[in-house]
Amino acid sequence: MNNKELFKIAENWFSEQNWKPFPFQKHTWKAFLQGKNGLLNAPTGSGKTYALWFPIILSYIKENPEYKTKHKSGLKAIWITPLRALSVEIKQAAEKLASDLGTQLTVGIRSGDTSASERARQKKKMPDLLITTPESLQLLLATKDYSKIFANCNAIVVDEWHELLGTKRGVQMELALSRLKTINPKVLIWGISATIGNLELAQEVLLGTYQNTLKNSVLIKASINKKITVKSIIPEKIETYPWRGHMGLHLIDEVAQIIRNSRTTLIFTNTRSQCELWFQTLLDKYPEFAGDMAMHHGSIARETRTWVENAIRNEDLKVVVCTSSLDLGVDFAPVETIVQVGGPKGVARFLQRAGRSGHQPGKESVIYFLATHAMELIEASALKKAAANTIVEDRVPYLDSYDVLIQYLNTLAVSDGFFPADIFKEVKTTFCYQNLTPEKWQWILNFITQGSQSLQHYDEYKKVEIEENGLFKINSRKIAMQHRMQIGTIVGDAVLHVKFLKGSYIGSIEEWFISKLERGDTFIFAGKKLEFFAIKDMKVLVRKANIKKAAKTVSWMGGRMTFSAQMSQLLREELYLLEKNINSIEAKALQPIFIRQKKESIVPNSNQFLIETFKTREGFHAVFYPFEGRFVHEALASVLSYRISLLSPITFSLAYNDYGFELLSDQEIDIQAVLDNDLFSTSYIHDDLQKSLNATEMARRKFRDIAVISGLVFTGMPGKPIKTKHLQSGSQLLFEVFRDYEPENLLLKQAYIETFEHQMEEGRLIQALERIATQDIILKNCGKPTPFSFPIITDRLREKLSSETLADRIAKMTASYLRE
Amino acid sequence: MTIKIQNQTFILHHFGAIFWQEKSILLVSDVHFGKVSHFRKHGIAIPMEAILENFKRMDTLINDFKPQTIIFLGDLFHSTINNEWDLFMNWAKTVPQEIILVKGNHDILTDNHFEEIDIKVVPKLVIDSFILTHHPLEVSTLYNFCGHIHPGIKLKAKGKQFLNIPCFFRKPNQMILPAFGEFTGNFYLKPTNKDLVYGITPEKVIEITLQ
Repeated sequence: MNNKELFKIAENWFSEQNWKPFPFQKHTWKAFLQGKNGLLNAPTGSGKTYALWFPIILSYIKENPEYKTKHKSGLKAIWITPLRALSVEIKQAAEKLASDLGTQLTVGIRSGDTSASERARQKKKMPDLLITTPESLQLLLATKDYSKIFANCNAIVVDEWHELLGTKRGVQMELALSRLKTINPKVLIWGISATIGNLELAQEVLLGTYQNTLKNSVLIKASINKKITVKSIIPEKIETYPWRGHMGLHLIDEVAQIIRNSRTTLIFTNTRSQCELWFQTLLDKYPEFAGDMAMHHGSIARETRTWVENAIRNEDLKVVVCTSSLDLGVDFAPVETIVQVGGPKGVARFLQRAGRSGHQPGKESVIYFLATHAMELIEASALKKAAANTIVEDRVPYLDSYDVLIQYLNTLAVSDGFFPADIFKEVKTTFCYQNLTPEKWQWILNFITQGSQSLQHYDEYKKVEIEENGLFKINSRKIAMQHRMQIGTIVGDAVLHVKFLKGSYIGSIEEWFISKLERGDTFIFAGKKLEFFAIKDMKVLVRKANIKKAAKTVSWMGGRMTFSAQMSQLLREELYLLEKNINSIEAKALQPIFIRQKKESIVPNSNQFLIETFKTREGFHAVFYPFEGRFVHEALASVLSYRISLLSPITFSLAYNDYGFELLSDQEIDIQAVLDNDLFSTSYIHDDLQKSLNATEMARRKFRDIAVISGLVFTGMPGKPIKTKHLQSGSQLLFEVFRDYEPENLLLKQAYIETFEHQMEEGRLIQALERIATQDIILKNCGKPTPFSFPIITDRLREKLSSETLADRIAKMTASYLRE
Repeated sequence: MTIKIQNQTFILHHFGAIFWQEKSILLVSDVHFGKVSHFRKHGIAIPMEAILENFKRMDTLINDFKPQTIIFLGDLFHSTINNEWDLFMNWAKTVPQEIILVKGNHDILTDNHFEEIDIKVVPKLVIDSFILTHHPLEVSTLYNFCGHIHPGIKLKAKGKQFLNIPCFFRKPNQMILPAFGEFTGNFYLKPTNKDLVYGITPEKVIEITLQ
């Protein structure tokens, strides 16, 4: 059958559904059938699954003319999804196509939710089309004779590639692809990505630096223009807007009105605790919504989440309070309105959420932005601009992630073993490790075989062994099992399952929250009031609590997000405009705040760099306003406090948000000395940043993930009792041991590099300093905290930096008594 | 730092050890020798150099105080037999002082291993009006020296400054020693107004102000 005939099959199918294929779908079919690799840029709900399942099935038909009667078994294609929740929907689409087109192709899912018996069955006979996650794919590489499984796998689709790019799961994917390309050189690799700023780079990272793969590839853009309308929710009495308070509940009545006027509304919150609180408060204040509302976040049991997702699809729900757990995939046609509570921190995320509504072609998406405090109104205004001009961020891929490489090599050593010369060649073709030197490679081989760089006679290190023929192999069953358990571990706090005493499962919760509870305490979780009973076998046992009892809301650590460079710039421009132009509703709402701000200080314009100082019971505050986003402020605060600390011994506590940063000390901070000594200079910035990093704990925190991924910290299976407690140690302790005894360790160095490049964004820091150099510095000594400073100085998540000796610091410090 | 308990003199050393002057006894708790090798044997690459630090510190203390007796308050060797045991045996043989081990929960080796190298193993030890144990005693008529919990303390000061450090934790009838070993964590205690806390810094021991 030629391509023209194959196309006909596809088009017939579309007309049977009364649909018409989009041009991007046809382009993708054509490119795929021509044997090209590629990246498809298409939003959720645009029919991207049909863009790629079609040519996969069509090429099977092409090679097997008797496809209707004869079935050739064996794995033919893999579809990777970052979220296992999405796999069912992808499977249904594939199954429908496979049967509608008359093939006998089978479709299967393999993820953390797949039962052991199902996995064993798959191992014997793989489905033709497999839907899986990056972790489960790694686990397949950790099984014996894995190359047989993949020998005839002709296509790999990586869905939601933008979500993986810029994460270590993305690096895992790059490595797996490098292996699969060798096993079957004919394999086609395709990615699907939402719109990001650097699509070309995304394509390069996916396909690797291996010349032919990239050269023989295309980038297809769906270019479906969708109208997005952004509206701010503003209270009638704007004088009462809170200065801080990130929950946003003061606008709940306005939100209830929006819910009433729309078919289905999704309320996006930034954290799981905010989600719980909004759900509970809505229910308390508006009991009439009771049967029509639900909650959706990552800690809720999967069954419940699936139920919620189906209910949205069937239009059974009026409102769903959710977190980023509903960001991806899953098409929800009935959703008409989106409410975003608090700053989404990124344009891409905001637009993606907006796109959750008005899914039918031609419909506009409406998103309401609810600023939780006054300063966020500036964000609202900036987001409107971003939506109008479709400005989106880049995703920065990782380079030289030694931790992931170590994990990967252990994986290969667990299954069939590997010969370093072969694997080095493959690893070098990935984007992440394109600059890996033979010296560093040797370092890693020494690390996994000797646990060090030089052999000591009394050492009994045992992990990867080198066999006589030069094969690198893990032979210990115990170590192999430990490694397999480690592959899928999500980096995060230890998580416990929450269950009723009678047995039914409710969800999972971070250990540190539970550790603060005592028997009989009441807390809200998954929309239920629960009474804590006990912890047994890594399970939190609870029972229904008395409704009247006061409860704690569960809070989760979660990552704090930061403004992207694009968002920061928009925000600055917006601030400068809003001060002059009072026409927009956001500007009007902000006026009372601006008036208060001007009483003691100023609202800076584009030529001014504002610094405020004041004294409170807590000590001496200096607050700086670069408006560069949280990460740049972390770096700036770090460098600046380090430079000040060189002038004389002093200890700082640092806090930051997206607008500015604070240095707080028990001693007065001499800002004039800061200005006289040119402490905002870009000279020696790299050096000073490095030194300030040693003085703070940022790198130490990065090391935590690295230690887990590279297998230095053994976390056990999530939710299962840890039988290997004797092998547990804190990553904090490890960091200190490495710093003191093996400062050249690549994993330790990686912690610093990642802090620099992924957190500090040194490049942006320098640009910020250069910009500040062109501005007039306005120093204001204020009598009390200003509205601008308020959200920063009340932030409790802080970093510290000190040039005093420990003994001097302790002399000033006290330990508080136990309350008896 | 020197303190008096029941008219006896005790020097608190910033390595986390106590020297009992009148009796010339060096008290050390929770060294956890063998732990690093134990991890390495299971494929977890803790730097080997960390093994040697505990020996170096012990040697320093012995040189400084020249004690007649060394008493370990439990958790001396945190593993089954591994090659670090050989290092430990060799070290113990070079120490002329009497060594006594008050057995702890992590000391899973049988007593004869220690006895072979002339280390006396006891479940507890009474010296005058003092009782030495690994686990802190809940009730005792004697003054209790013990270890086991790796005490630490959380400090705070103006300017939102916080600090966590290991410490000696002194109750009216009990002194809990910090863990001597590198590569051990702390358990943070909250004092009552009857307690005294001595914090450990890299150079010295400092009494903590309680508030």
